[in-house]
Amino acid sequence: MTGGTGSRTGAESESLVLEARAVGKSFTTFERQPGVLGVLKNFVARQSVVVHALENIDLQVRRGETIGLIGANGAGKTTLVKILTGIVPATSGEARLFGRDSFELRDQEKARLALVMGQKSQLWWDLPPIDSFRLLKEIYSIPTEAFDRRVAEFTKMLDVEDRLKIQLRQLSLGQRMKMEIIGAFLHDPEVVFLDEPTIGLDLVSREVIRQFLVRLSEERGVTFVLTSHDLEDIEETCKRIVVLDSGRMAFDGDLAGLTAQVTGKRAIEVHVDPHVPIDELALGRDLLAFGAEIAGRGAAAVTVIVDADRLPDLVPALFKLLDVRDLSVERQPLEHLVREIYRRSERDGASVEAARPEAGSA
Amino acid sequence: MTSLALKPVATRSLALLSKAVGYEFRKRIQFRTGFFVREVLNGVVQPLVMLFVYAALYRSASSTGELGDAALRNWTFDEILKYIGGLLIVMKLTFDNRGLELSTEIFEGRITKYLTMPVRYFVLLQARFVQFTLMQVVVASLVWCVGYGLVGDRWLVPVSWSAAGQAVTLILLGSYCAFLLYVTINALAFWLDVVWSLLVMASFVITFTGGAVMPVSQMPGWAATSFGYLFPYWAISAPIEILMGRLGTEAFLRGLVIVGLQLVALDLLRRFVWRRGLARYVGAGM
Repeated sequence: MTGGTGSRTGAESESLVLEARAVGKSFTTFERQPGVLGVLKNFVARQSVVVHALENIDLQVRRGETIGLIGANGAGKTTLVKILTGIVPATSGEARLFGRDSFELRDQEKARLALVMGQKSQLWWDLPPIDSFRLLKEIYSIPTEAFDRRVAEFTKMLDVEDRLKIQLRQLSLGQRMKMEIIGAFLHDPEVVFLDEPTIGLDLVSREVIRQFLVRLSEERGVTFVLTSHDLEDIEETCKRIVVLDSGRMAFDGDLAGLTAQVTGKRAIEVHVDPHVPIDELALGRDLLAFGAEIAGRGAAAVTVIVDADRLPDLVPALFKLLDVRDLSVERQPLEHLVREIYRRSERDGASVEAARPEAGSA
Repeated sequence: MTSLALKPVATRSLALLSKAVGYEFRKRIQFRTGFFVREVLNGVVQPLVMLFVYAALYRSASSTGELGDAALRNWTFDEILKYIGGLLIVMKLTFDNRGLELSTEIFEGRITKYLTMPVRYFVLLQARFVQFTLMQVVVASLVWCVGYGLVGDRWLVPVSWSAAGQAVTLILLGSYCAFLLYVTINALAFWLDVVWSLLVMASFVITFTGGAVMPVSQMPGWAATSFGYLFPYWAISAPIEILMGRLGTEAFLRGLVIVGLQLVALDLLRRFVWRRGLARYVGAGM
């Protein structure tokens, strides 16, 4: 890849670009009472309710890090991104980007960041992408030579060279999202926030976008914060994972460490007769003897997680414990582990301790 | 570090403004029927209604039943005809809310993306004002030519080039005041979901106090005096009277001061509301 700022290494890569200290965000909403009387009550005196979207979030991101921000719907991922990018202010705590209060960013700092919103178009709907790019060129003062080079390079990488002059509204979802991503990278940002960039896309488009992000991260040292429900996105593009649950940080750690936990585990999916009842309590007790546990339960299937080395003992035992019709063994999906993180967070009511990356963990 | 060196804010804003004006133009003219209805026919019905109402009024006020005999508060029917012709032109040039869409953009969270960009969002709104004005200057000129072609000297013809210059100055400044007022009311969408009702009310107040229903100088004395301190009068009624030669340079200068002061006040109000609104913004839809 030519041009750009090149990889940022050494002392520069050690520096913090993003920092959240005890960040909290609360919204006040009004409760609506049901029924005619309720409507009248609301009319006279509304009852306000404070919703805590985020509580006590601590996060430090160094230059070049790739962070996967995951969590269920309503966990606070997008709110955190909005605070970090300065779209909304934090109610408590402090969020800083490039050493400056996120909500007070000046144009100099804004020119160094980019935001891609999977559910909102960044480009102008009625214009062909190339016209939107030209508007962005003016907004970011991109030199003509660099602009032309990046447009050519990125459209080639994302395979949309022949779609530049077609009105945005006429492009497919995948092509639109690729254009959105190109638009976000034209000014060569240092920090990029991607909020569900692959939502609704087909497998091929997802893969192309992931490869694009990985390449830019490796070659240009771009710092990413990626939120996604698709854990494959996170696994392929991020080195660090942050899990939010009900507005609290449930996990912050190295993705490699997390996947190492997964690689030693196996998920056995046992298909059973749906008409034969299962005593889950007894089954759980029996599985415990093998160090295994039930990770999922469907009408006709039970998913069991076990250490890989206990597999030879457990599989024959399963045939005795259950009315097995079919059985498959796979590496434990990351989803199970994340679900476990949620569960632990819910049970403990506090952040799950994890090995937070120290300096230079990018 | 990024290799970008941002140009000064003014340079960037100007470059963006010119690009955004072009974009707004394309947005407006991409559908021919929509363009004709919104930009050409818009504002034609009210003056026509006024014409019928005034004809009835003057006929009943005339002792002979002839329209030309009566004068109501110093206005003859011929002058009213010219005034209505002037209204057709001036109301085209006065900014209305139809091209703004700001409250919808706030409700739907469409402004979110701009908040992370090194750009003043207001520049994009100004582009809509500039596009509106440029397009309406062309449309109004065409309407004037058609009117002159149809009724000749009974149509409003400026008494002098100087009067035309004074009238256009007041109309454009007043139109910018209307734009600032609409932006401010739209920005209330950060708090309220009844912005549309407020906009309709504001539009009525502007047209009424400006003299789009009847010339302000024909209204009762107290109304004419008090409306004379508001920008709509200097944007609508006064410029037409300047074009007709009923008001002179002294009135123009007075109007310039009043409109100038209100323009500054409205801009300060707009900034205040926008800043407070952004602090409440939740970035809906993201």
